[in-house]
Amino acid sequence: MSEEYAIQMKGITKVYPNGTVANQDVNFNVRKGEIHALMGENGAGKSTLMKMLFGLEQPTEGEILVNGESVKLSSPTVAISKGIGMVHQHFMLVPSLTVAENMVLGMVPTRSGALIDYDKAVKITEEYSKRFNLKVDANAKVMDIPVGMKQKVEILKALVRGAKILILDEPTAVLTSQETAELFTELKSLKTQGYTLIFISHKLNEIMEITDRMTILRGGRSMGVHETKNVTPQEISRLMVGRDVVLKVDKDKAEPGATVLKVRDLEFVNEWGKKMLDKVSLSVRKGEILGIAGVEGNGQKELVDMLFGFETPNAGTITVNGVSTIGMNQRELREHHISLVPEDRMLYGIAATASIEENMISDRASDKRFNKGPLFNMAAIHEESKRLVKDYTVLCKSAQQQVGSLSGGNIQKVVVAREFSNDPVLIIADQPTRGIDVGATEFIRKKLVELSRSGIAVLLISADLNEVMELSDSLIIMCGGQIAAYFEDTENLTDDLMGRYMLGIEHQSPEEIRRVCHE
Amino acid sequence: MSKKNSLKFSVVRALAALGIALLLAFILIFVSAEGGSFGAKMSNSLAALQQMLLRPILKKSGKFAAKNFCDILAGMIPIMFTGLATCIMFAANQFNLGAEGGIMLGAFVTALVAIYAPIPGPLLIVVAILAGGLAVAVVMLIPSVLKAKLGVSEMVNSLMLNYVIMYILNFLMNSYLADRSKGITQTYAFRENAILPQIIDNGSRFSWGWAIGILVTILCWFFMYRTRWGYGIRMTGINQPFVMYSGMNVPLIIILCQVIGGFLAGMGGGIEMLGRYQYYNWSALPGYGWTGITVAILAGNNPIFVPLAAFFMSYLTKGCSLMSMNANVPAQLIDIIQAVIFLFFAAQQFLSGYRQKLVIRSAQEELAAKAASGERSDK
Amino acid sequence: MNIFTTAFFFSIFRIATPILFATLAAVIGEKGGVSNIGLEGIMMMSALFGSLTAYWTGQWWIGVLAAMVVGCAEALLMGFFAFKLKTDIILTGTAVNMIGSGGTLFLVKVITQATEGQSYASTTGLITKIHQIPSLNIPLIKDIPVIGKVISGHSILTYLAFILVWLTAVLLYKTPLGLNIRSVGENPNAASSVGVSVNKIRYITIGIGGILAGLGGAYMSMYYAMGWSLDMVAGRGFIALAAQSMGGGEPLGSMFAALIFGFAQALGIKVSSTGVDSNLVAPIPYIVTILALIVFALLQRRNEKKRHDNALQ
Repeated sequence: MSEEYAIQMKGITKVYPNGTVANQDVNFNVRKGEIHALMGENGAGKSTLMKMLFGLEQPTEGEILVNGESVKLSSPTVAISKGIGMVHQHFMLVPSLTVAENMVLGMVPTRSGALIDYDKAVKITEEYSKRFNLKVDANAKVMDIPVGMKQKVEILKALVRGAKILILDEPTAVLTSQETAELFTELKSLKTQGYTLIFISHKLNEIMEITDRMTILRGGRSMGVHETKNVTPQEISRLMVGRDVVLKVDKDKAEPGATVLKVRDLEFVNEWGKKMLDKVSLSVRKGEILGIAGVEGNGQKELVDMLFGFETPNAGTITVNGVSTIGMNQRELREHHISLVPEDRMLYGIAATASIEENMISDRASDKRFNKGPLFNMAAIHEESKRLVKDYTVLCKSAQQQVGSLSGGNIQKVVVAREFSNDPVLIIADQPTRGIDVGATEFIRKKLVELSRSGIAVLLISADLNEVMELSDSLIIMCGGQIAAYFEDTENLTDDLMGRYMLGIEHQSPEEIRRVCHE
Repeated sequence: MSKKNSLKFSVVRALAALGIALLLAFILIFVSAEGGSFGAKMSNSLAALQQMLLRPILKKSGKFAAKNFCDILAGMIPIMFTGLATCIMFAANQFNLGAEGGIMLGAFVTALVAIYAPIPGPLLIVVAILAGGLAVAVVMLIPSVLKAKLGVSEMVNSLMLNYVIMYILNFLMNSYLADRSKGITQTYAFRENAILPQIIDNGSRFSWGWAIGILVTILCWFFMYRTRWGYGIRMTGINQPFVMYSGMNVPLIIILCQVIGGFLAGMGGGIEMLGRYQYYNWSALPGYGWTGITVAILAGNNPIFVPLAAFFMSYLTKGCSLMSMNANVPAQLIDIIQAVIFLFFAAQQFLSGYRQKLVIRSAQEELAAKAASGERSDK
Repeated sequence: MNIFTTAFFFSIFRIATPILFATLAAVIGEKGGVSNIGLEGIMMMSALFGSLTAYWTGQWWIGVLAAMVVGCAEALLMGFFAFKLKTDIILTGTAVNMIGSGGTLFLVKVITQATEGQSYASTTGLITKIHQIPSLNIPLIKDIPVIGKVISGHSILTYLAFILVWLTAVLLYKTPLGLNIRSVGENPNAASSVGVSVNKIRYITIGIGGILAGLGGAYMSMYYAMGWSLDMVAGRGFIALAAQSMGGGEPLGSMFAALIFGFAQALGIKVSSTGVDSNLVAPIPYIVTILALIVFALLQRRNEKKRHDNALQ
């Protein structure tokens, strides 16, 4: 009975040209008229699977059927013509155009053959808005409307193009709770009108509330299909959050010293008025690694932005060894021996067409030891880069090789070599091993432990559970811009327990959380 | 890609760009050539092409054309300086096009010092040239500070400044500084001790300014590749967020590179003045700034290749002027050739298919090498 | 002495016309995300071919048409280098300006050699009254005192330029093409996600700019100055870029910016007619450009800060 399915993706495997296997033999079937959740951690392969369904990527192996008919989705245009619509996480809207104009972009109604029939565009918009009970202001410019309305415009855009199957990529990530509630009512009403919805999310309570069935991905493979009403949040979290490869790192017990980094009641509201950090307080002491776990988008990025001077908090304090660092630029922060392994290594971490050596000295190019009067002391620089290449086992022909020509793991070793070697008192490591090979991962993890044991304070932010649990002496979990839990040691932690805090099923008491301040 | 293949690609690409430019030049020459029949036109255009490509260094008899060669070397002087200026500004991704006005202002200020400053001996030369450079460096604070502090396009501002400089200098000449005893607008003569001596005094004006140019080239290379400031400039050109994150002062770098660029352009103007003229008589922008941009593009923004690129451009210029004298093809053909070479040199995707092939071959070679060494280590 | 005569105000429109054409080209370009700094060179090239064609055919309007075709062709060639070969758009524009300077001189010499049997360095000797773009006396309006003398009697292209301000606004805001241009300029991903071909729109954008700059060139060589001569455009293509940003990138605002430049230059000419050195007044438009860019940047910064503060509340 294939007709009951709107979407059947059979045996889908996707290998990217660089060799990454994003999906492996995944079966994904969506029934007509259901809301089907696609769940999984970051990097589990959800996006890739959906990109293939929307024609943005082609599967390496496997077959896709839409309404029982085998199709080749070579571009979004083809996908749209098959009745598939996608609401992207990053809105595909033109800010200075009105809602109505965005609605009809690429299929503009005209009058007398040449001019835009703007009234008709508005009429179409309002008609759809009414029919699906998605309230939007057709005449407002997109840049002036709230995020929630932008999302509705995106949904309407898909509907007006004849979509019967809607992919919603983390639609609630940017919404406030009221907006989320509103969205859910609308989605349910779409369902009763016979639309099929694919709902990508990390948020368990939302999944439980709105979906009929779910497919869980982990490490590019499907962990099976489940009826939502038959599974408990605990089961889901166990299926979703799991450790596949366990890289053991031996470490002695930490002997924490004085507090180095002290964050108190930090708050941050982003430019769309959403509160991204809500009274975050934590302390990191000499000689310990404090891990921050959590699903991405729960305030970790914003916290790092505050700590390294890319953004200014709305309230709260940050001190490093007693000195307030709010308002400092990166040069001043580095003069205070604060290092950052940035999450986006290609944007901040390196200058791709410069040499390894040039990338290794970017934070210390003005140091006395590398200059002789006005000139560089090339001997000292060569020696430094050679030493770092050796110490950090960067696989390269020489330190003069272009850093952009290295593999991801070796690029990250160059970043890490620089950030770890300039006598830091505090290292902020933001996703230090994301997307790199096992060897480099293991090396960087060992190095982090080694440095912390030598008396450096380390703040580790990672979406990789295995990593935070293995490396951290103690750890906090962030959820919704708040600290949801603090664990003094990671010995007896289970994935299951972590998952419950990460997905917002449980939340510790303020007193328990406050222990991370060590006061 | 391996170093060998990457070099190979650069050479092939450069030759292809030159080839296309010369082909276009030949077509234009052919169109403009005299002659009734196709054959006559063809032989005339080949003769013209010969004038352009060979005569700058070879006489008709096949002997080395020493005088022409000196002209070429002398012609390098101003464009080496504007080329270096542009290199340093473009290296930081600052599209300041003010070398054109800069060289005129530098020439003017140097000329004033050379006329009016009672400084003894060769010291006058030094002071005059430095004054020219400093004047332009100060003027370049305008576009650079505006860019660093307000984000105003340095490109439009520097272009506007070119015109402002030209008109104001012309005004000063007309109103105050011209030698009224002369028929055309020119200043009084420079002091005798301000004249730059010639390396070979054969009328080519092949002055010691050329040697200064080579010396400054080397200094610029050291500055760009052996000092922290040059390093900061280069890194800013590659990835500005990286430079900020690393704790370098980005606004300062943006200002610094344009001020230095201005200094070099101004210095070039001064040297050109004292090496070639006895008095200042420019009334329009000289065009050296634009050629300097081509030189910088050809040199890949690396100072050390500037003399080579400047030689090439000067050679072509000489060739075009010989061609216009002897074969009746207008000398401005150089501007078209220059623009075409420039366009293809700067085109990232030009011959990208060929590069892709080389990349793949490189990767295969590497894999093969790895496999071979693996086998060896297994044994 | 009275500066502000009707002749003075008349001259503002006359002077502003070529800048206005180029400014509209810049407006459309920026809306479509294509910064064309080669407008200067395109104007030079089309000025040359416009005047030559008018001379050959004896018809001014064929000359204008030729200027538009040449402007468009050159712009599309720029597009080929910028979009296809990925040459930096600023460098592409710089190359076009180089060709516009010396290259046009080469062409005029070669072409006149071939057609006239003698090589000319300009076409001022060839263009006479009969090739001039005609002026238009507007019935009724021309008889209104003062206003008639200011508004009536301009070249046809001057009127066209001001009509084009309106047409540009219509194109950008009332047609499907304009909607596509604006969305490609602002968010190419959004445009391509609904099936709009981004590259096609970019070529159209730069091509329209070329046609507009071509009109500006035709006006220069067939009305403003009678005939083409070296460097006659004198930075108007660059001033247009400044006028575009001062006008907030909108057709109407940019038109006023272009008129301000016309005013500054007209004032300069007037002042210099009283005996002041013309070299002292000639740089005024360029200085005004720099000052205007500063003021505009300061205003923009203030607005951004305001918007940011509002978001926080």
